[in-house]
Amino acid sequence: MGTENPNRASYSQRPSTSPFFAAQTASPFSSSTPVAGAEASSFHSYNPIPSSQIPPSSSEASGFRSVQPGRSNDPAGPPPPPSYGPPQTGPFQHLSGPQFSSPVQVPSLRTSAGEWPVVAPPVRPPAGPFSSTPVSFQMRPQPPTIPFGSPPQSMNTVQPGMNVPLSSVDSPFGASSTNLQPSSPPMRAPFPAARGTLQSAFSGYPGQQYNIVPQAPPVNSVAFPPHQGGSVTPPPAVSGPYVGQQGGYVQSPPTTAPVGMYSRDRMQHPASLPPLGTAQGLVEDFSSLSLGSVPGSLDAGIDSKALPRPLDGDVEPKSFAEMYPMNCSSRYLRLSTCAIPNSQSLASRWHLPLGAVVCPLAEAPEREEVPIVNFVTTGIIRCRRCRTYVNPYVTFTDHGRKWRCNLCSLLNDVPGEYYAHLDASGRRIDLDQRPELTKGSVEFIAPAEYMLRPPMPPLYFFLIDVSVCAVRSGMLEVVAQTIKSCLDTLPGFPRTQIGFITFDSTVHFYNIKSSLTQPQMMVVSDLDDIFVPLPDDLLVNLSESRTVVDAFLDSLPSMFQENTNVESAFGPALKAAFMVMSQLGGKLLIFQNTLPSLGAGRLRLRGDDARVYGTEKEYTLRVPEDPFYKQMAADFSKFQIAVNIYAFSDKYTDVATLGTLAKYTGGQVYYYPNFVASIHKDKLRHELGRDLTRETAWEAVMRIRCGRGVRFTSYHGNFMLRSTDLMALPVLDCDKAYAMQLCLEETLLTTDTVYFQVALLYTSSSGERRIRVHNAAAPVVADVGELYRVADIGAVVSLLSRLAFEKSLSYKLEDARTSVQNRIVKALREYRNLHAVQHRLGGRMIYPESLKLLALYGLALCKSTPLRGGYADTQLDERCAAGYTMMALPVKKLLKLLYPNLIRLDEYLLKASFADESENIWKRLPLSAESLDSRGIYIYDDGFRFVLWFGRVLSPDIARSVLGEDYAVDYSRVCLTEQDNEMSRRLMRIIKKYRESDPSYYQPCHLVWQGEQPREGLYLLANLVEDQVGGTNSYADWLLQLHRQVQQNA
Amino acid sequence: MDLEPLLWIIFFLMNMGLIALNLYQIVSLSDLEADYLNPYESSSRINHVVIPEYLLHGAFSILFLLSGHWFFFLATLPAAYINLRKFMKREHLIDVTEVFRVLSVEKKLRIVKLGFYLLLFVLVMTRIYAAGTFSVVMSVFHSDNEELDIRSSILEF
Repeated sequence: MGTENPNRASYSQRPSTSPFFAAQTASPFSSSTPVAGAEASSFHSYNPIPSSQIPPSSSEASGFRSVQPGRSNDPAGPPPPPSYGPPQTGPFQHLSGPQFSSPVQVPSLRTSAGEWPVVAPPVRPPAGPFSSTPVSFQMRPQPPTIPFGSPPQSMNTVQPGMNVPLSSVDSPFGASSTNLQPSSPPMRAPFPAARGTLQSAFSGYPGQQYNIVPQAPPVNSVAFPPHQGGSVTPPPAVSGPYVGQQGGYVQSPPTTAPVGMYSRDRMQHPASLPPLGTAQGLVEDFSSLSLGSVPGSLDAGIDSKALPRPLDGDVEPKSFAEMYPMNCSSRYLRLSTCAIPNSQSLASRWHLPLGAVVCPLAEAPEREEVPIVNFVTTGIIRCRRCRTYVNPYVTFTDHGRKWRCNLCSLLNDVPGEYYAHLDASGRRIDLDQRPELTKGSVEFIAPAEYMLRPPMPPLYFFLIDVSVCAVRSGMLEVVAQTIKSCLDTLPGFPRTQIGFITFDSTVHFYNIKSSLTQPQMMVVSDLDDIFVPLPDDLLVNLSESRTVVDAFLDSLPSMFQENTNVESAFGPALKAAFMVMSQLGGKLLIFQNTLPSLGAGRLRLRGDDARVYGTEKEYTLRVPEDPFYKQMAADFSKFQIAVNIYAFSDKYTDVATLGTLAKYTGGQVYYYPNFVASIHKDKLRHELGRDLTRETAWEAVMRIRCGRGVRFTSYHGNFMLRSTDLMALPVLDCDKAYAMQLCLEETLLTTDTVYFQVALLYTSSSGERRIRVHNAAAPVVADVGELYRVADIGAVVSLLSRLAFEKSLSYKLEDARTSVQNRIVKALREYRNLHAVQHRLGGRMIYPESLKLLALYGLALCKSTPLRGGYADTQLDERCAAGYTMMALPVKKLLKLLYPNLIRLDEYLLKASFADESENIWKRLPLSAESLDSRGIYIYDDGFRFVLWFGRVLSPDIARSVLGEDYAVDYSRVCLTEQDNEMSRRLMRIIKKYRESDPSYYQPCHLVWQGEQPREGLYLLANLVEDQVGGTNSYADWLLQLHRQVQQNA
Repeated sequence: MDLEPLLWIIFFLMNMGLIALNLYQIVSLSDLEADYLNPYESSSRINHVVIPEYLLHGAFSILFLLSGHWFFFLATLPAAYINLRKFMKREHLIDVTEVFRVLSVEKKLRIVKLGFYLLLFVLVMTRIYAAGTFSVVMSVFHSDNEELDIRSSILEF
C-alpha cells in the first residue's frame, strides 16, 4: 500500500492537489467511523509528507489540517465544515486521533499490515521529493514524481507563491521523513497532528488522482475508478503491479465509508459480510474497476435504522474543491457531478440532471469574503474572443507578455500595466498581490464602460393593500411598523430612495417631498386609464424626506382604520407603481391581501377544484391565469424592477398568478395564509426586515461561461433571460440560487478539463458597479462510474426539484413525481449495470456512495409541499407559494426543507450542565414516527417553521416549566414564551440558536401535543417523510419499489 | 374576362405575403438567438404579425373554398386548423418571459410552415401557368391592340 500512495501522490501532485488535503481532511475523516483510522494508519508512512509540509510552507494549510484531526477525534462529532479553517496550531495536542487509529489498524487491515513493514523501511531521511519516490520504488519507480513534486506545495498553501519547487519541497519532505517514523503504532505524542492529517490526507488521494486525469489522459482510465467521492476511499484501480496491494487496500472501502455506509454494511446485512468478502476477492481480479463504490445493498425487510440518511446535514462534495484548489467555494457554485462526461453517449448515461447550481452572493463567513480587485488603471483583463475574465486558471506565456484563456484557449496580449515577469517555473512574480490569479472568487470594480447609466441608488417602493381585510388582520399595522423600524438600516444610505402607493378600490399616491411636513395623499379612481400625479414627488430620497416618511408610516394604519372597502384595484396600482419606478428600477414590495377585482389584471376566484385533479387540465390551476401579469413581469424586468410579493389571505388569492411577478423579476414570494397579526407578526416582521436590510445587488445580470464543447442550455430559477445565456436579475441577494443544465455540444470532448466562470455584473448598494466572478474547473472523465462517484447530491436534488416543479406547471402532479422517480431509477440502474455482475450482488441495491441519499431525497421531493398528493393534501396557494420558494432556495436550505431536522430536546433540557450545549442539540433523528418517544420533547425544524412536539406521557413538570401554568390548554393558542426557570430559558436559547443559524426566514414555533388531531398530523406527522402517510410510500417501501424497478429492466 | 387568372394572381400574392410574414418571424427568432435582438423587441415584432398572418391564411383557405379549388383548400386546412387552435388556446403569441424556452420549437414550427408555403407556392405557380394567367398577363405585352401596348408607350418617351 505504501507504494501505491507514493505513486499516486506523485501523479496527483499537481498544483491543484494540495489544497485538497485540507479540504478533504474535513469530510472523509469526519464522516468515517473510527475504523477509518485503520486506513489512515496504513498510510501513515506516506501521509506525513503533507503534514510535514505544514510547518515550513504555509501556516494556513497546516492550520487547516490540524484543525480537522482535532475535531475528528470525536467520532460521533458532526462533520467539520469543509471550509478552510483559520490557521491554528492547536491540533497537536490531540492525541486521541492516532491512538484510535492504531488499534483499529490491526484488525481491519490485514494486507496492509503485512505490507506495512515494507513501507516503513523505505522511508528515508533524505529530503526532497525523493523521499516519496523511494516508497514508490518498491513497486516501481514513478517518473512522474518529480515533475509534480513542486505543485503539491502550492496546493497546500493555496498560494501560488508557494509553488517555488525547491524550497518548499525540500522542507516538507524532510519533515515527512521524520513523521513517518512516528506514524508507526507506538509513536504518538509528538505527531498526533501528523497522523490526523494522514488520515485525512489519505482520503484526499482520490482528489489527487483526479488531477491525473487532466494531465495524463492515458493514466486516467486506469486511475480513475478508485476515486471515491472522497468519503469512501476506493481502491485505486491501478495497473498490474498494484493489484495485490489493492486487495489489501480494498478492504478499506468498507471501513472508510462514512458512518451511514459503514453501518449499513455491518448492521444491515450481518449476512452480507461474506458477500463483501467475495466482493473483495473479486476486486482483486478486477482491480481496475471501481470498487470504491462499495455498493450499498438492501434486502427486503431490512433494519430501517441502517438506511442512509442525511443526519449530518448536507455534506458537500470535497472532491470538487480538492481537485482544483483554485475553484470557488461550493457556497457559490456546485456542479451536479464534479466531472464532465467526455462524450454525448457518456452524458446520456448520466440520467440525472447535468448542471450547476449557482448562488453568486452567498453569505461568506468572516475572513472568507470575496476579495475586491480594482482594475482602474489597466481596465479589466478579459479574453478578446469569449470575454472571459482573467482568473487563476489562465496561463501566462511568452515571458508574461501573453496569456492564454482557459475557456477558449485564445492567446491574449497582457496590457502593459498588467505585465509582470514570469519566474523560472512560469508563474508571475506578482502572483501574491493578485487575488484574481489566486482566488476562485473575486470581485472587480467595474469601470464606466460597464454602465449603461450611472449606478442606480437602492430603491424601495411599497405597494400596500389597505382594503378591509388588510386592516382587520393587522397586516397593515405590522408592515408600517416594520418598515419604519428598518428605515435606519436600509442599505445604501444616503442615496436610498423610497416611495409608497396604497390601493383598495382606488389607487392612493403619497407626496412625501422633503419640503412637506405631512404627506399628501392623492386618490386616483380612474382605473382604466391610470396616471401618476406629481411623478417627481412620489419617489424621494429617504434621508432628505425622513421626517415625512416617518409621519406617513405612523399615520398609515390609522388612516385606513375605518376603511370598509373590499375591492382591490391591484392591476392599476401595479401599473402606477411601474410608471413611478420605471425611471430608476429598484425593488417593489407588494403587500397583497384581497384577490384583484378591479381594472386590468382582475382575477377570478378560480379556486381549487377537486374535479380537475388527475385530468389533463390539472396544471392550469398552477399557471398564471391572466397574461397581464406575465407582461407586467416582463416590463418590470426590462426596467430593472424586482417584485417581492407578500400575500396574506384567508381565502384563495391566486398565488400562482401573482407569483409570476416575482418569478420573472428575480423576486420572492412570501405567503402568510390566514394572517393574524397577533400570531404571525414576528414572522412577517423578521422576513420583511431581512428583505429590506440584507445586502442586495441591484440591476444585475449574470452569465455563466464554460469551456468549449459544453454549453448551458436551460436555466431554472427566478429571473428572466435577456439573451440565450444572460440572466437579468433586477435584484439579487444571498438567499437566491439559480440552477442551470448543460449539455455537450460536441460528440467527443478533447480537452482534459472544463472550466466554468460565473460572472455577475451588478450595482452594489453603495453605488459601485462591480463584477463578481466565480471560477471552477472540473475534469473530463471517460468513465461512467466516475461520473456517479463524484456526484454532488445537493446539486442533483436541487436541479431535480426545480425540474419537477416546472414539470408540474405543464403536467399533472403525478407526472412530475413519476418523472423524479424515473430519473432515479434510471440512474440507479445504470450504476447497477456497472457493478452488479462483477460483484454478484444480485439481490442487493446498489448505488454510488455519493448518491446514497438520492432515494431519500427523491421521496422527500415527492412528498414536498409543491408536489405532494393531490387536491386535499395541500391548499393550492400554499402549493404554489412553496413551489416559487423552492425555485429560488440555495442548496443547503432546500435539503433542509426536504429532510428537516428532528431533534430530541428533553434530555438536554433536563441535563444539569451546559457544557455540551453545542454538540448535543444538533443530533438529528430519522424523520419517522418511530423516532418519537412519547416521554420526550422534540423539535422539528425545516428552516421555515419549528414544530415542538410534546409526548403524551411527558412528565407534567417539564411541560409546566416550559409552557407555564396553562400548559394543559389547547396548544394552538399557546405562545411559547420564556418562563422563569432554567428549563424554559434553555429551550428558548436553543430555539434562538436555531433561528440564528438560519436567518433567511423566521421559524414560528408551533406546539403540538402527541395525539392531538388534526394539528399533530398537519404540522408534524404529514411531514415525516420516512413514514407512510395517506397513500404515500414509507422510506423502506420506496426503496423496495425503486429496487424492483431498477431490476425490472436491468 | 375570365376570373380564373385574376384569382390565381390573388392567390399568388397571398402566398407571397404568407411567405414574407413567416420569413420575417423566422428572422426575428434567429436574431434573438444570435443576440442581435432582445427578447422584448423580438417578441413584439413577431406578435405584431401573428394575427395578420392568421387572418391572411384564413382568407387564403376560404377563398380556395369559395372558388371551388378543393385540393388547395384541403391542403391549407391543416395549417388553418393549427392556427385556429393556437389562437383559441391563446398560445399564438410569443410569451416574452419564456421566449428562450420555446425558441427552438417556435422556430422549427415556422420553418415547417415556411416549407409548406413554398410548396404551395410551387403548386400555385403551376396552376397559374395552367390557368393561363401568364398568357393573360402577357397578353398585355403581346396585345395586338396598339393602344394597350405599354412597351410602345414606354418606348415613345
